[in-house]
Amino acid sequence: MAASLTPDRPLELCAFWVGSAVYAIDVARVDEVLPRVVPLPVPGLPEHVEGVVHLQGATVPIVDLRRLLPAGTPPRTAKPKVVVAWLGRRRVGLRVDGLAGVQQFHEQDVAPPAQGEPGPVIGAVESREGPWRLLDVRALLRRAPA
Amino acid sequence: MGSLEAALAAFRYHPEEDVGGLIELPQSPLEPEPAARGEDVQLLAFALGSDEYAVPLTTVTEILRARRLTEIPRARPPLLGILNLRGTITPVYDPCVRLGRPTEPGPRAGPDAPPAARPVRILVLRTLLGPAGLWVDRVRGVQRVRPEHLERPPSGPTGGVMGVIRQGGGAPRTVVDPEWLLR
Repeated sequence: MAASLTPDRPLELCAFWVGSAVYAIDVARVDEVLPRVVPLPVPGLPEHVEGVVHLQGATVPIVDLRRLLPAGTPPRTAKPKVVVAWLGRRRVGLRVDGLAGVQQFHEQDVAPPAQGEPGPVIGAVESREGPWRLLDVRALLRRAPA
Repeated sequence: MGSLEAALAAFRYHPEEDVGGLIELPQSPLEPEPAARGEDVQLLAFALGSDEYAVPLTTVTEILRARRLTEIPRARPPLLGILNLRGTITPVYDPCVRLGRPTEPGPRAGPDAPPAARPVRILVLRTLLGPAGLWVDRVRGVQRVRPEHLERPPSGPTGGVMGVIRQGGGAPRTVVDPEWLLR
């Protein structure tokens, strides 16, 4: 994967709480954010997949990120949401503890991940409210226990 | 920081990115037929009041004449009552509630319910949670449409609408997601 070195390339992030940490994904990945989602249970799913919902005629699985990332207590103001994210040409719903905001950074703002971060965290940026951990959703779901 | 560059390239969304090896999810039996194959979409058309609706035909298992439902104490809309369908307890729902249409006053289950009008039917749908009934005013029949005649809504919250058909100069027909009507 040969990426050209463009340190001031903008990086727009959508951040959300999972446990006591804030994770961020590329805002282009976000399709929509749903306030209340009741997935239909489907037998035989892995533990971290709650079920599926039908969105515009497509079946979208709902993955509970709280089962895949370190536990913790989110701030009391956080309201649980489902972030519908694009993975290639399909979508997956990510259940999170709350939204933390959208903010623009540059690639040069990204610091390598701290020691002890979960594997799919590729780095971190310092936002106004504290560190946002850049989460590689594909790596997270690929790594997820089957 | 070559590795960080590569990680950032993987982090950014790209529609053609490799999603192999990701969680495999069972396809829902209610998944609409892929329109890409160019086959006609078959719909079961029905009416509620003066408005025309349809659901994908693959989700409908049978059509019943309206019959007296068994009431459930303190049942809340859209649940009307239950039906014993050859030994399978089938809940019956009022689609008007989710569609924001006015609902008929008065009970529709139990001994006090008035007999339904002659054209009223119950569509028995196959859902992920078992059979469910949909109380409709009139069944129009099966309609085949070319996928390109099904106007799909833009992405975003669509309120359960899978598309709209405008054909033959008649009233537009709204294709709704049956799962959404029951929720």
